[in-house]
Amino acid sequence: MDVAQELANYAAANSTATLDRATPIISDAGLLAAFDNSPVDSDEYKMNLNQHLLALTLTSTQSLISSLFALPTKSTSSGILTILPTPTTILPREKPLPKPKPLTKWERFAKEKGISHKRKEKDVWDEELQDWVPRWGKGGKNRQGEEQWLHEVKAGDDADLDPAKTAKAERKARIAKNEKQHAANIAAAANSAASASLSTSASSSKGKGELSQEEKKNLRERRKDELKRSMLISKTATASLGKYDGKIEGEPKAKGVKRKFEPTSTKDFKGEKESQLDVLNRLEKGVGKVKKSKKGSAGAEGELNVRKAVRFQGKVDRANGKSGGGGAASKKGKR
Amino acid sequence: MRPLTEEETKAVFEKLANYIGKNLVHLIDRDEDDAYCFRLHKDRVYYLPLPMLHLATSVARPNLISLGTCFGKFSKTQKFKLGITCLDWIAKYAKYKVWIKPSGELPFLYGNHVAKAHLGRITEDTPEHQGVVVYNMADVPLGFGVTARSTIDTRKLDPTGIIVFHQADVGEFLRDEDTMF
Repeated sequence: MDVAQELANYAAANSTATLDRATPIISDAGLLAAFDNSPVDSDEYKMNLNQHLLALTLTSTQSLISSLFALPTKSTSSGILTILPTPTTILPREKPLPKPKPLTKWERFAKEKGISHKRKEKDVWDEELQDWVPRWGKGGKNRQGEEQWLHEVKAGDDADLDPAKTAKAERKARIAKNEKQHAANIAAAANSAASASLSTSASSSKGKGELSQEEKKNLRERRKDELKRSMLISKTATASLGKYDGKIEGEPKAKGVKRKFEPTSTKDFKGEKESQLDVLNRLEKGVGKVKKSKKGSAGAEGELNVRKAVRFQGKVDRANGKSGGGGAASKKGKR
Repeated sequence: MRPLTEEETKAVFEKLANYIGKNLVHLIDRDEDDAYCFRLHKDRVYYLPLPMLHLATSVARPNLISLGTCFGKFSKTQKFKLGITCLDWIAKYAKYKVWIKPSGELPFLYGNHVAKAHLGRITEDTPEHQGVVVYNMADVPLGFGVTARSTIDTRKLDPTGIIVFHQADVGEFLRDEDTMF
């Protein structure tokens, strides 16, 4: 083997010659990254893949390192350090955006009414002392009433009333009320978060926070259906199973109740006949009632009275010896 | 085809009772060997003998066009309307009847009301708004309707005054041939 050949090989292996790039390589020293935006040479890529990739990498790395050497340096006890600039490339967030904190009851109300938040100063000006005093805490404005050494007793107050004690009790009651509201707010927030996560886990595997329009609609429909169902159930919770209850306007119809009919043809026809005769009997009674009411007398009572009157008239006629008139009258009464 | 429900039965009987009154029992309560029944098929009510019913059960619903005597049909709002096809039955049991003169036959069969001039005979003490069956003088039933006046009031009426409001007549067999069956 020739020495010259060996030297050439070595030079080729350690060459720092870089590829010609159409666009300059962008290096972001802050992120220690270099970006090569030039299109890939397809011929070279197909011909000799490994060689080509190596050359590309070499080009980019050289550009990055040369940019690093151009940066200002600082000498410290542990050696010379390069000061990296702030990164210029914007990278996407690693974690999702934090969810907005659930509003408290007051915040919701204030938002609805358009009340803007007014920050309260910690200290308030006391006119009598001509000084700033804390709003709460030791020597606070809110406990001035219970800490003053002399209390004025009003004319109507009881003899054994302790003004300091009542003032303190009032303050404690205010604190208790606030704590209760705070707990309610926390519970409401936890509740809404739980229901949201439940609904999302039920409908899809999407992120917990935001519901899509469709999912919201589904949820609303489901809630509506449930409400309808419970309403129908509650409607039948009367002694008559809801048969004689007044209908509400736009009341949902009970679904899932299939119509059931008698069999078309049976060997025993008597049952059907009986039921039809039964309907007929009831109809005749009902028709009679309607006719009575049309004439102006009062229902069953009127019917009784008419019959009685006819019978009475018949008796009178028979006693008088005119049977014909009585017969006609009784006929009329029957109809 | 199916039996009528209770409400449907009530609607049918109420209508029939207008014309035949208590004779309605004779349609329901018949001899064992001559039993008839009411059946509903495609909103129409049919009155048919039991043997026919047993035969008809083997006909599929879409293939069954008609069976027995059609008494009328239920409207979409579940009101029952009597049809002219039931005339044979209600003429048989009619309680109140109206006979019309030969000159009045044709106007009635064209769907007009019965005027007093055409009135031949009427059942005694027919009340107002009572269902009646209309016959010609040869006792052939022509149709049915509702009285406009009671028998007593008709006497005061002028000849052009209406006695019976037309409801159905046999002329419909020709006029409404397309929709009747």
